[in-house]
Amino acid sequence: MRVPSIFAKTLRDQRWQIIGLGVTLAAIAATAVYIWPAYEETFQNFVELPPAVQALLGDAEIGTPEGFLSAEFFSWTPVLLIVLAIIQGTGAVAGEESSGTMDLLLAQPVTRQAVVVQKAAATLLALVLVVAIGYVGFLISVPFADIEISLAGLLVAVLNMLPIAVLFYALALWAGTAAPNRAAAAAGLIALATAAYFVYSISNGVDALRGLRYATPFYYYGAGRSLSDGITWWHAGVLLGIAAAFIAFTLWAFQRRDISAGGGDVDVRAALRSLNPLAR
Amino acid sequence: MEPDAPAIELSGLVKHYGDVRALRGIDLTVARGQIFGFLGPNGAGKTTAIRVMLDLIRPTAGAAHVLGLDCQRQSVEVRRRCGYLPGELRTYENMRAGDFLDYIDTFRPERRDAVYRDELARRMGLDLTRHIRALSKGNRQKVGLIQAFMHRPDLLILDEPTSGLDPLVQETVAELLEEAVAEGRTVFFSSHVLSEVERLAHAVAIVREGEIVAVEDVARLKARSVHVFEVTFGGAPPSFAGLDGVREMRRDGRTVRLQVGGAVDPLIKLLARHNVLELRTEQPSLEDVFLAYYSAQTPVAAGEEEVQRASA
Repeated sequence: MRVPSIFAKTLRDQRWQIIGLGVTLAAIAATAVYIWPAYEETFQNFVELPPAVQALLGDAEIGTPEGFLSAEFFSWTPVLLIVLAIIQGTGAVAGEESSGTMDLLLAQPVTRQAVVVQKAAATLLALVLVVAIGYVGFLISVPFADIEISLAGLLVAVLNMLPIAVLFYALALWAGTAAPNRAAAAAGLIALATAAYFVYSISNGVDALRGLRYATPFYYYGAGRSLSDGITWWHAGVLLGIAAAFIAFTLWAFQRRDISAGGGDVDVRAALRSLNPLAR
Repeated sequence: MEPDAPAIELSGLVKHYGDVRALRGIDLTVARGQIFGFLGPNGAGKTTAIRVMLDLIRPTAGAAHVLGLDCQRQSVEVRRRCGYLPGELRTYENMRAGDFLDYIDTFRPERRDAVYRDELARRMGLDLTRHIRALSKGNRQKVGLIQAFMHRPDLLILDEPTSGLDPLVQETVAELLEEAVAEGRTVFFSSHVLSEVERLAHAVAIVREGEIVAVEDVARLKARSVHVFEVTFGGAPPSFAGLDGVREMRRDGRTVRLQVGGAVDPLIKLLARHNVLELRTEQPSLEDVFLAYYSAQTPVAAGEEEVQRASA
């Protein structure tokens, strides 16, 4: 079977990002594993962490290998995946449109849906490849380091990083379709991701804000829990469900609007108007 | 597809962008097997009409058919059979020209013809191993032209095809257009340059402010075309009142600006009898052509011109 061209090109265009980010994750993973024995002694002296410190770590028990890796690796490395997801998500439609290449691409015998679906599929595969390379960091360190942790559990935790990245990809894809201006879409999404991460981290410590964390995707990611408890399926389902909804909305919106011509000013207002089902 | 359907059929095509009326109801039929020019000033709606045909934008009203196919409902099939050169050509900067053409080829694997593609590159003088980001505007345009031609489409839709090309390559493009038509294919191209349309096209539609103002054989358009001369005399300029088709536009001392419709021979003969220091000729602007067109169309305007000429 022939590999669909847009899928192949999108994946090829990301090859250095995949390798670079994957190797970075693997290096962080291996480093964290190797420094664990040094930390272990220190942390074993704490029977209980001060509540404020514990809050920043989420639910993780830092005195255990699971808790340590949750704090040192799983709590923040999804942010790297999210950055890749936002770069690719805004690039898929908004990037091609603001650089003017969408005109020629859509003049080929492909449907607009095929363009979006092939690009999305390529980036989903890219994200899987990144975490797979990252997992190699555990594979090459855990068996040789003085740490007791299950490689299967780590695999589950690594895979659990994907839904939140997929969600931000879908949001970026949609934002780039709604406002076909890559810079604006990317800036908006990065602001949103940062705000969500910030809200999530402070809401763990402040009781008054505790309810807020349910509104942030990072709660459903649940960094600390996945390593000890496995994937909470309904949490992953929430993230992937919202992602699917936004991808569907992107397909619908992209299908019905005008493509902006090469490189010139993008009429953001007209594009937004085209997203309104009541406007004609 | 209907084999007998026209290459292009636009009916009542309207496109509004907010308050901007880019197309105000375009009706146009382009028969197959010819080179058809779409002539109009920048902003007249040429690109808008072309992008509707490729389903890149959706009309506010009206319909577009290409090769008998509905441009919206059968857009994939339309695009399979069309070669398109965008007016604002943008390609992937980080690719080599050849790799970019390979990529475009993957969308029509059944029509891939590497030999023809390389021949096109050779004839236009384009090095396919170079990165697109390193190419000049003219060389990029060649990449755009090759990707439009290389799969031998039934209909070529070219938005300002010769923009940025040097005269020699323009000549090659003219040959390629003729060859396409000789193979029974159809060429539709837009231009804002009258001389280009006169040189390349068999028939022309003139578009202005989102409306088609005329559809003509190029031969007839040429017969109606006007030339502008600016003549500086050594002595007092003569009167041009008696010359058929000559209209005096301005007289500034010894310099006279003249518009000539039809044959220029009588004017040349008259000038030969005087001491001419300088003679300059200009490409008539599209506005001149429109004026000429309208004045030929409407007897009232022609009458006014007679009066003007008599009083000059």
